[in-house]
Amino acid sequence: MSAQLWALAVVGAVVLAAAGLEALRSRRARRLSSGATAAPSGQPYVIYFTGDSCTVCKTHQEPALSKLDGVRVDKVDAVADRALADRFHVYTLPTTVVMAADGRTVHVNYGYAPAPKLERQLAEARGAALRTAATA
Amino acid sequence: MSTPQSIVDHSALKVNQTGIVATVLVAFLGSVVWRPLLVLIPLLAVVLLLGTFVPRLALFKQLYFQVLKPRGIVKPRPVQDRPEPHNFAQGLGGVFLAVASVFLIPLPVVGLALALLVAVLAFVNLAFGYCLGCQIFFQLERRGFIRA
Repeated sequence: MSAQLWALAVVGAVVLAAAGLEALRSRRARRLSSGATAAPSGQPYVIYFTGDSCTVCKTHQEPALSKLDGVRVDKVDAVADRALADRFHVYTLPTTVVMAADGRTVHVNYGYAPAPKLERQLAEARGAALRTAATA
Repeated sequence: MSTPQSIVDHSALKVNQTGIVATVLVAFLGSVVWRPLLVLIPLLAVVLLLGTFVPRLALFKQLYFQVLKPRGIVKPRPVQDRPEPHNFAQGLGGVFLAVASVFLIPLPVVGLALALLVAVLAFVNLAFGYCLGCQIFFQLERRGFIRA
């Protein structure tokens, strides 16, 4: 029995360590990609990094993106367009980047981002644009 | 996308993941009362590795295609997808279980921990759709180690 308990403890520690590392990595990538710009648009939009090997993209992320009414979604193959993927420090798929109308990065989501989260981030991007216009 | 897509039945993948989780759990918990049940771990390694290289020998997928699907027990879920990342993930699971099998006798804690880790990852894939092996495949493909 003791071998099983020790093994359980080891796996628990590994899972916790992996979750902690993932959180750190995600935070670092988010920090490094902030300030990156892409082609500006009249409205906030989403850059969606995907790839042939990404199943969650097809089963979860694409249905979530299709729920965003009237929002421009730029689909990017992270393997083919490596330069753009590197610019946003894409290390996992899917990755979605919410861009402000002026081409500023507002949010980067590493991993699946549900529709309500993206809608919240897009609303924030619209709010930021209004604030910028008001102060200009 | 860079390569043409094929259709992958995700129910077959789910049955495969369920088989992996169930087998490891039976071996892990069962070995508390009857140690020979640990033999299920090397057997599962063989099943996964065989299934990776010879898909028609993939035991759990064949169970789905030959029994569960025709009898309507599990409904098919075809998705436009590539089978390679899933095969890669399965092979990786098989390799980890093979390594676990080597350690089961001399260092049972290491062997059991590795086997349990494979079950945890299969469960995460089954429940949340996150496939670590597919992410590793993506990274290798990005770095040019795997050609599409």
